[in-house]
Amino acid sequence: MIEFLAKKLDWLDVQYWFYIFNDLSLFYIIVPFFALELIRYAYLKRLDKDLVLDSIANVVTFGAFFLIEIILGILAITKVYYWVYNNISLPHLELNWATLICCVLLADFAYYWEHRTMHRIGIGWATHTVHHSSPHFNMSVAYRFGPLDAIMPIVFSLPIVMLGFDPILVLLSEVFVQVFQTLLHTEIIGKLTKPVEFIFNTPSHHRVHHGSNRQYWDKNYAGILIIWDRMLGTFEPEKEKVVYGISQPINSVNPIVVFFHGITRFVKKLRQIKGFSNKLLAFVKPPDWMPKP
Amino acid sequence: MKNSTLVFRSLGIIIFLTGLAHLFSFGVSAGGDFPTSVTETDQETIQHPEATKPAENLDSNTQSGKETDYIIDKWKVVYNTDEYKGAIVYAIKKEGTVFNAYTYQYEDENGYTEKAEGTKILTITSFNASKGKGIYSVAFEGEKYKIDCKIALVDENTFTLSYDYYGYTDVETWKRQ
Ligand SMILES: [Zn+2]
Ligand SMILES: [Zn+2]
Repeated sequence: MIEFLAKKLDWLDVQYWFYIFNDLSLFYIIVPFFALELIRYAYLKRLDKDLVLDSIANVVTFGAFFLIEIILGILAITKVYYWVYNNISLPHLELNWATLICCVLLADFAYYWEHRTMHRIGIGWATHTVHHSSPHFNMSVAYRFGPLDAIMPIVFSLPIVMLGFDPILVLLSEVFVQVFQTLLHTEIIGKLTKPVEFIFNTPSHHRVHHGSNRQYWDKNYAGILIIWDRMLGTFEPEKEKVVYGISQPINSVNPIVVFFHGITRFVKKLRQIKGFSNKLLAFVKPPDWMPKP
Repeated sequence: MKNSTLVFRSLGIIIFLTGLAHLFSFGVSAGGDFPTSVTETDQETIQHPEATKPAENLDSNTQSGKETDYIIDKWKVVYNTDEYKGAIVYAIKKEGTVFNAYTYQYEDENGYTEKAEGTKILTITSFNASKGKGIYSVAFEGEKYKIDCKIALVDENTFTLSYDYYGYTDVETWKRQ
């Protein structure tokens, strides 16, 4: 076992495995699954114009997000990541099963904290609210991203690079977590077996995360492992039927409105706040924070 | 949950996972064939962004093909360094899914030959008949290192073996004996 975990892996092989899951899963899981969801919606007589337009808006926001991600990615990954890796990092780790698994788990843990931060600071929620603003819950919602969603992961994954993990491996692991998370956006799958629901993030746990029911707010931040939520006090099981969306719905399927509504609301809030330091505080204080009059 | 609890638990998780990774990277050796201190592949990825795309031509499965078997032979490399002047003949054998090269014979500047001990000095981990990758043992200032290397075919009787180990680079020409 130890021999196996310590056995050196070929970079090309590892990149190929990630490629099969991270990239190709779109074709062999996500698109077929979404088609299945559409059939289900049609069967339940829920396949209406709003749902279709909502799904289109989701994909459009993903396009916008992806563009920002690519521009940032090229800058951040090639420059910042490698600078950190070569200058302020622990000894560089080799590539074997153990380091690969640890890297994915650390990326998953970083995702937990990044996600939690997105919910609990003003500027984070201004962008992440986009993901939560759909009143529906299907695979396409997973692609609903806000304009600044690409920035936070960079901040949270840099420490992993400092721990000695190769920047490319960190990046691939992050995408791996994101793709795993994507697969959870469905109403088709109910609860899985107890051990799986205990350890892993599942569609049931992530439905709770998307709930606008009060007890479901700011719960189940996990990417792959739900145990992070269990350990850090943010776990909530799915009991009451989930009502999807945010507390103040946007009632729009216009991709531009969807993509920018968080930022627009945040700017409005900043205008209402008096005093420069209070305005600054609004960026890092919880989204519902208002200075005391 | 108290903030201090969050910090302690989070630090615990990070230290545990990082410690495990470092333990398996530097503390555990996976036998002689694979080095534990080589991170050369990292550098390769930087220099060759195209390597992030899966390259089908380096599929290790192709090693089982007959077209790569021509490499099973004796190969001679001439050295002219301060450490060693002369030539070494290596024997490349197929072992399982990889090719291994063993020292076979030494030849000094005057042509005097001596049988070698048959030490394994190279493992070709992937090879597609024109290009390949491997792990090469080099001795440098009395220390032995196992480093990543690339091999490239020049013609059917010649290939080059190149490596770049923290700036210590070299290209060897292997001639069919
Ligand atoms: Zn969220
Ligand atoms: Zn989600």
